[in-house]
Amino acid sequence: MEKFIGYKCKSCGRVMYPKHDRCLTCKGIEFEEVELGKEAKLVTYTKLYAVPEGIEMPPLTLGIVDFGNNVRAFGQIMTDDPQLGMRLRPVWGKLRKLRGKDIYGFKFEPIEKS
Amino acid sequence: MRDVAIIGCGMTKFGRSPGGLMDILAEASMRAIKDAKAEKEDFDAVYVANMMAGETVHQTAIASSLVDRINLIPAAAERLENGPASSGSALKNAFIAVASGFYDMVLVAGGEKMSTADTDVVTDLVATMTHPTAEYIHGVTLPAMGAMLTRLYMERYGLTERHLAMVAAKNHANGLKNPYAHIQRACTIEGAMSSGMVADPLRLYYVCPISDGSAAVVLCPLDKAKEFIDKPVRIAGFGHATDVQTVHEREDPAVLKSVQLASKQAFKMAGMKPADIDVAEVHDAFEILEIVESEDIGFFEKGKGHIAVEKGVTALDGELPINPSGGLKARGHAVGATGMAQIVELVWQLRGECGERQVKEAKKALACNFGGFGNNTVIHILERGW
Repeated sequence: MEKFIGYKCKSCGRVMYPKHDRCLTCKGIEFEEVELGKEAKLVTYTKLYAVPEGIEMPPLTLGIVDFGNNVRAFGQIMTDDPQLGMRLRPVWGKLRKLRGKDIYGFKFEPIEKS
Repeated sequence: MRDVAIIGCGMTKFGRSPGGLMDILAEASMRAIKDAKAEKEDFDAVYVANMMAGETVHQTAIASSLVDRINLIPAAAERLENGPASSGSALKNAFIAVASGFYDMVLVAGGEKMSTADTDVVTDLVATMTHPTAEYIHGVTLPAMGAMLTRLYMERYGLTERHLAMVAAKNHANGLKNPYAHIQRACTIEGAMSSGMVADPLRLYYVCPISDGSAAVVLCPLDKAKEFIDKPVRIAGFGHATDVQTVHEREDPAVLKSVQLASKQAFKMAGMKPADIDVAEVHDAFEILEIVESEDIGFFEKGKGHIAVEKGVTALDGELPINPSGGLKARGHAVGATGMAQIVELVWQLRGECGERQVKEAKKALACNFGGFGNNTVIHILERGW
């Protein structure tokens, strides 16, 4: 199964996503791959009506999610009813078509209230 | 380091231009050269700012083409690309070249032809500025970035949609007084608030149009400026800074840190503070950006920019008029030319040539030109040099 990977600085421990070749905090240059997390919270979002090519059905919900400790990511939010602070989990799937090719990556699915 | 002056400026009307990219670049450049009374001068260098000529008009090496068209041969010529901050970057590099004593006569021209491509193609080209794997492929557009910033501001600072509509109405009113503006049509707050949704909560009227346009200036050392014209404008300072590319990885996604850093540098170099500025042109690709930049430049406290809009502080007759040209919203946004159009407007403001949209007693001016989504910002401060 695909894992949503970030890069942890071996000098200061900061986790970054996407990859940088010098740490954003301490300029360290060695990293280890770590899983970003299984649960994140929605920080901000938009429902995009003017969608780019390769997105089938507007609106497309996009947002920034926070895994904790300021480790964040951006992506598609799989709901038409986004709420700030809602709990989400990363799932692997098709993002869009780009120049005729299917593009895959992580998007975020709401975690049902139990 | 020598003092540097802008001795001439010119631009084309923004909007859908009948001519090609080289036609509008040549038109703006010749207007600037005539304005500087430098028709017979030899030029040392030409900096051409442009973001996407290769993609929109299928033409590259456009600086070589411009020096040929307007015969500035054999001047050193090059194109500068820094996204929508291409013009700010070009002016900065031209300033450094003249200030250092290396060049005396320099033309800086920004130009962009965008109407040749369909809106969705242009939207996609602009979106390629974002991070290729962490943002672009997920379907992000620049309006989506603006929308996410707006929602953070609504949540954190109590900004409402009405504030965005107020900025749009102000900028449309200013554009109506600017013969060079793309959009010359009044817009009411209610009208803006009932326009179509682009990226919730951003409606069409909170987003800039796609424009063709060109703008140019001529630079020379300040001590030679009076040989050409009576009212040279001095470049008092600049600042240029970058930030993390992805919005999600910034320290605070609601802060435009590159704007903060670039303005600090510019104010320090100019020996000024935000309160000294009489008029500003800022990069309102989305109306939220006018508010956020006005705070991060230091004009208003963080989170209070929308209150200044409410009180009319940024209106043409307010204490600090912002975007008297109409801004990107109404003057238009010809990406690579936008920063130069800001400078041209401010030169006219300082010289007192803006007619109905003239800001009273404009002596010191600031331009904020912004590339990427706030991760590459160039600020210039101008003042009367006479």
